[in-house]
Amino acid sequence: MDLKLSTERGGIQSPSPVGVPNQSSKVTRLRSKLGAYGFMAPAVVLIVLFFFIPVIILFILSLSDLKSANFGTLQWWLPSNWSLVNYTKIFADRFFSKFLGNTLFYVLTTLALFNFGTALAIALLTTHINRRAGFVFRLMWLLPRLTPSVIYILMWRRIASRVPHGIINQFLGPLGITSGEDLVTALPWLFVIVVNGLIGASFGLVIFSSAIEAIPRDFLRASKVDGGSTLQTIRFIILPMIRWPILFVLTFQTLSLLTSFEQILLLTDGGPGLFRTEVWALRAYHLALSTESGNTQWGYGAAWAVILVIIGIGAAVIYMRVFKFDELVQEPKIDLI
Amino acid sequence: MALRKRIWSSAPYLLLVISVVPIMVGYLWLLINSFSTRTEGLLPVGELTLNNWSFLLETPFGRGYPSIWRVTLNTFLIASFMTITVVLVSSLAGYALSRLNFPGRRQFLSLTLILHAFPSVTLLIGIFFVLRTLSLYNTLIGVGLVMVGFEMPFGIWLMKGFFDNVSWDMERAALIDGASRLQVWWQIIIPTLKPGIAALAIFAFVSGWNAWLVPKTFTIGAGKQATLSVYLQNFQGDTVAVDWGTVTAVGLFQLIPVALFFIFTQDLLLSIYAGGAKGGS
Amino acid sequence: MKVKLENLSKRWGKVVGVEGINLDINDGEFVVFLGPSGCGKTTTLLMVAGIYKPSGGIIRFDGRVVNEVGPKDRNIGMVFQSYALYPHMTVMQNISYPLRLMKTPKSEMIERSQRVADMMGIGELMDRRPAFLSGGQQQRVALGRALVKEPELLLFDEPLSNLDARLRLSMRSEIKRLQIDLGITSIYVTHDQVEAMTMADRIAVMKDGQLHAYDTPTEVYDRPRTLFIARFVGNPPMNITEVDVSQTNGAYHASSEGLELVIPADRGEKAAAKGSVMMGIRPEDIMIDSEGIPGEVFGVEPLGRDHLIDVKIGDIHYYLLVDPSLNLKSGDRVKLGFNTKKCQFFDKKTERSLLWN
Repeated sequence: MDLKLSTERGGIQSPSPVGVPNQSSKVTRLRSKLGAYGFMAPAVVLIVLFFFIPVIILFILSLSDLKSANFGTLQWWLPSNWSLVNYTKIFADRFFSKFLGNTLFYVLTTLALFNFGTALAIALLTTHINRRAGFVFRLMWLLPRLTPSVIYILMWRRIASRVPHGIINQFLGPLGITSGEDLVTALPWLFVIVVNGLIGASFGLVIFSSAIEAIPRDFLRASKVDGGSTLQTIRFIILPMIRWPILFVLTFQTLSLLTSFEQILLLTDGGPGLFRTEVWALRAYHLALSTESGNTQWGYGAAWAVILVIIGIGAAVIYMRVFKFDELVQEPKIDLI
Repeated sequence: MALRKRIWSSAPYLLLVISVVPIMVGYLWLLINSFSTRTEGLLPVGELTLNNWSFLLETPFGRGYPSIWRVTLNTFLIASFMTITVVLVSSLAGYALSRLNFPGRRQFLSLTLILHAFPSVTLLIGIFFVLRTLSLYNTLIGVGLVMVGFEMPFGIWLMKGFFDNVSWDMERAALIDGASRLQVWWQIIIPTLKPGIAALAIFAFVSGWNAWLVPKTFTIGAGKQATLSVYLQNFQGDTVAVDWGTVTAVGLFQLIPVALFFIFTQDLLLSIYAGGAKGGS
Repeated sequence: MKVKLENLSKRWGKVVGVEGINLDINDGEFVVFLGPSGCGKTTTLLMVAGIYKPSGGIIRFDGRVVNEVGPKDRNIGMVFQSYALYPHMTVMQNISYPLRLMKTPKSEMIERSQRVADMMGIGELMDRRPAFLSGGQQQRVALGRALVKEPELLLFDEPLSNLDARLRLSMRSEIKRLQIDLGITSIYVTHDQVEAMTMADRIAVMKDGQLHAYDTPTEVYDRPRTLFIARFVGNPPMNITEVDVSQTNGAYHASSEGLELVIPADRGEKAAAKGSVMMGIRPEDIMIDSEGIPGEVFGVEPLGRDHLIDVKIGDIHYYLLVDPSLNLKSGDRVKLGFNTKKCQFFDKKTERSLLWN
C-alpha cells in the first residue's frame, strides 16, 4: 500500500462546542427549512397564481353582476355588491333544463360508449393479441389525443362534410345510407360524442391495458385449463381483477367529460340552432369568455363555472380518499437538508 | 376446424383494424389534400401540386395575415418556454416532495394530487382577471404561464414518481462525499433521470405546441397570430372562404413535431400516460 | 478518530429504530455492528454518518459533539451495500467527486484519484462507467471514492452482501488489510456473523434497536451475554435446550428428558440458583463418545469437510459435527459426549446469561 495519507487531516470544519447541542441547531434547522421551501417556491407561486387566486376570484365574481356593460364601473370585489342572484338566475334560465339534459346526455353516453366501453374493448383486444401488435394499435388510439385539437376537428369536419367533399358521404352516399347533407348539422350529437369519445377512450385504454398486463399469466392459464371460454375468462377473471382501475377511469372520466368543452366549441360551438349541443361547461365559457358575442357576462358565467369547480374539488378529494393516494407518500430517508 | 380456428384467431386483428379506420382516415385526407388542388372525399381532383406548400415561402391567406414563420416562432417560443419552465419547476418541487423533510410536505403533496385531478379549465374566467391584473392579458408570456400552471400538477406528480425511484444510498453517498442538497439534485439525481425528464419535456412541448383554448381565450387581435392552432382556426370559420389546400398543408406542418414525438418516443409515450395516471391525469 | 455514542436513540413517531445505545470506539479500531435485519444497526450507522438526526443522545467525534454537523463536515467515507456509484460518471469522476466538491485543483484531483484507484487495483478502468464494471470492480470504486478524501472515519453498510461467495472472501481480507495499513477508524455493519468474527476488533451485537453486547469476537463467542447472541453468533448455531440444574452430593447436574450431565462447579453453581434454565452448547462441544449418552441419528447433512448430524435424545434434537468417514446414517444409534466446561446457561425469562453478567 503506497497511499500516503497526509499527516494533518482536515478536522471537522464547523466546530461546535463540547456539550449538548445548542443554538446552532436552531440555525441549521431554519436553514434547512428555507432550503426546502426554496425548492418549492416556484411551484407555489404558480399554484397560487393560477389555482388559488382564480378560484377565489371566480367565487367573488359569481356573486357580482359584472358584465361588459358595467365593466370598469362596478366594484365587484366589494361585499356590498354581492348577492346570490346569479345562482337563482341559473335555475330560472329558460334553457336550464336543456343545458342540464345536454350535459347529462353527453357525459353519460360518451362515457358508456367510448371512455369506458370502447376503452375496455380495445384494451382486451390489444392485450389478447401479440404484444408488439397490441402496442402499435394502442399507439394509434393515442393519436387523437396528441393531435392539435384544431387539426383534429378540421379532419372531422371534412369527414362529415356534405357532398362532394365529405368522406363519409363519398362512401355511404352511393349505398343510400346518407343523403349527402352535412352530417355534423344533421346529426350533431353523434359527432360530438364520437369526436370526444375517440380522444377520451385512450385514457381508459392505457390504464386498462396496463392493469390487464399486470395480471399474472398463471390466472389466465388456469382459467383456460379449467375449460373457461375467452368470454368467461374476461367475465370471471379479468374484470374482477381490474375493478379498481375501472372505478378510477369511470370517476375520473366523468369529471373530465363534465368540464371539458374544447372539442364541442370547435366542432359545433353549441349549435346547430339554439343550444342544440351546448353543455354546462361551454355555457359558462360562452357567457364569460367568448369575445364574439359582445355581451360578456363575467358574473353570471362565473356562477355556472363555480358549480363545476365545486364538483371538481369534491371529486378530487373523494379520489384521494377512495384510491388512498395519500398512502403513496413515503417518508424521506434522509433527515438533513 | 383449422380454418375456423384461424378465422377466430384473426378476429381481434380485424376488429382492431376496423376500429382505427375512423382515426386514420382523417390523417390520410390531410396528407392527400395538402398535395392536391382540391379533393372530393378522399380522391384528389385535378393534378397533384406543391402549391399548397407555398406558405413556407410567402404569406398565405392574403394580406393582413402574418407570415407562417412568425406564427411558428411564436408557437415555438411558447412551447419552449413551457417546456423549460415545467421541467424546472416540477423537478424542483418534485424533488422536495419526494426527498426533503419539511413542515407542510404532506399537505403540499395532497394539494398536488387534488390539483392533478382538478379540472383546471373551469378556472379560465378567474384566470382572465389574474392576467388582466398582471398586465399579462394578450401576451405570449401570459399564455405560456397559464399553460405552465395547468401542466404543473401533472409534472410535479410525474417527477415525484421518478425521484421516488432513485436510490437513497446514492443520495446519501453524495451527501457524505460533501455535496449540498442542491448539488445532489443538480449533479447526481437530475443526470440519472434524463430519460424521465426528456419524456416530461417532450410532453410539455407538444402540449404547448398544440394548445388552442388557452391562447385563443387570452389573446385578441394580435392574438390571431398567437399560435399555429389559433392561426389555423381562423380559416375554418364559415365567414372566410376556405383555402383548404393551404389549411391542410399548414396543419400537416404543425403536426411534424407531434409526429416526431410519436415515432421516436413510443415506449415513453404509453408509460408516461400510464405512470401519470397513477395519480390521475 | 475516536467515536463515542451516548444514549443514542432514533424514533420515527412511535416507531423505535434505536434505543439508548452507548458505545466507545477507539482511534484506529475496527468495530462491527452485527445483528439481524431491522435491528437498528444501519440506522445507527446513518446517524454516525449524519444522514439521520438522532432523536436523543449525543454523538462525539474526538470528544466534540457532532449531532448538528452535516455529513460533509464530518470527514467520513462510506461504502454502501448497493455501492451507490453515480451511473452517469466514469470511474475517475466517481472517485474524484468528493475532491471536486472540495474544489481541489484539477491536477491534484486527478493525481490523488489515480493513486487511490491504483491502490484498489482499478487504475486501468478510469474511463469506464459503473454499468460496465463487475460487482467486485464496482465495490472497489466505491471503496476508492470513500478513501480519496482521506477520511478519519470509514463506514461500511453491508458492503459485501451483493458479491458472490468467493469474491466476498477475498474482499473481506482486502478491506481488513487496508484498514490496518491505513489505520482509519472503521464501523462495519453486517448481518453475517462470519464477517463479524473475522474482521472485527470489537463486535457490537444489536437486536430490536438495542445493544446486546459490545466485546471482542472471542468474548462474544465464548461468553454470550444473552440467549440471542448465543443463537445468532456461531455457525452451525448453538444447541439450546431447557434443563433443570441441581446440586446433589456436591456435584452439579443438568438434566432433561434422557439427558443427565455433570456440570463444572463454577458454572453449575450459578445455574442451580435458578433451577430450570436454558442450556446452550455449541456443536463443536458435542462429540461421539462410546461412554456417552445414547441417542438416535435423525438426519445427516454433508457439509463437505464435516457432516452435520442431528441426533435425537428423548424428544430433543442436538446438532454436532462429525467426521464423514464415520459414515453415519439416519436411524443409527450413537452415544454423545458433552464438553460441559463450555456449557452456557441462560435465564428462561430474561434470556440473559447466568454466567457472564
